[in-house]
Amino acid sequence: MELTGPLVVSQDMGLFVAVVLGFFFGLFLERGGLGDPHKLTGVFYLTDFVVPKVMFTAILVASTGFYLLSDLKLLDVNRVWIIPTFFWPQIAGGALFGIGFVVSGYCPGTSVAGLASGRLDALVTMIGIGIGSLMFALIYPTLEDFYQSSPMGVATIPRITGLSHWIVLAVLAIMAGVMFFLMEWFERRTR
Amino acid sequence: MAQNNFWSPYIAGAGLGLTLLATFYLAGWGLGASSAFSLLTSVGMKEIHPDFTQRLTYFAQYLNVEAPLRNWVLFEVCGLFLGALAAALFSGNFKLRLDRDPGMSAGRRLFAAVSGGVMIGFASRLARGCTSGVALSGGAQLAIGGWIFVIAMFVSGFIAAALLRRIWN
Repeated sequence: MELTGPLVVSQDMGLFVAVVLGFFFGLFLERGGLGDPHKLTGVFYLTDFVVPKVMFTAILVASTGFYLLSDLKLLDVNRVWIIPTFFWPQIAGGALFGIGFVVSGYCPGTSVAGLASGRLDALVTMIGIGIGSLMFALIYPTLEDFYQSSPMGVATIPRITGLSHWIVLAVLAIMAGVMFFLMEWFERRTR
Repeated sequence: MAQNNFWSPYIAGAGLGLTLLATFYLAGWGLGASSAFSLLTSVGMKEIHPDFTQRLTYFAQYLNVEAPLRNWVLFEVCGLFLGALAAALFSGNFKLRLDRDPGMSAGRRLFAAVSGGVMIGFASRLARGCTSGVALSGGAQLAIGGWIFVIAMFVSGFIAAALLRRIWN
């Protein structure tokens, strides 16, 4: 049996795997407190740092595993779809996203977790996300030039800087560790 | 009032990271969320206004496939709902409510929820994904796109929170 990932599965199998992986995604989001808009927005008011704690822990764990499996030849990263970089559209999108996050109290995945814990405001946010998607599709012809601008292709930090991914990961781990320490200290002080 | 039966954010984060790693290994891509909303909107619009929707070139990527609803991210988001529902029910966290700051009226909360949602939906399309697809999945791949999205989101979120202090907290 071929053990090198990504494991190619049939479409039916793929959709079943999607539900199972999504189940764990939602379970960890809710159990981490990420279905709660008070906790979700806490970081922006410096009252609750659960979002960066969950997010950067998840990124570090997944990233370490990703590059470890790759080095061990257990994962063929050339067959993994890497998020493409379009510099300015992603900066602009991230900036607008931050405002929407603060205003609504959710992001797309956490709005689903919010609804699953009984929050009707999360359902209203989900409707808003649909409307926002439609607005994008409506003005896409005028936005297309910007949307396709500043393409960098499959640009990863190790590839752009020429550094080993382990150096990049070590730096990120140290930065996250310092950040977690400061957040814990700050939360203890203000509580 | 504060329900504090949540797990340590580091435990939940590690679980989320392992789920994302399993997704890379099994599926060959990361976790997503926002594209399910865009997909459902395009399918819904096609039901209501087929001719008009046919002319929206951005939606063609969802509609010009054999079975639009047999979509990986859509199934994953359905799983997300079930997983969060199971977690909320078993931990006693499920409660039907309109979650808002005590000082905020219901009408204001609904307006904030829908307008914030519109911004998120639009921004996710512009950035080619949201906190799941771009920030988490791209961040873990060490993709530049993931990290610039994260930085822009936090910087703008801090500024927005300072200016809109009365919405939360």
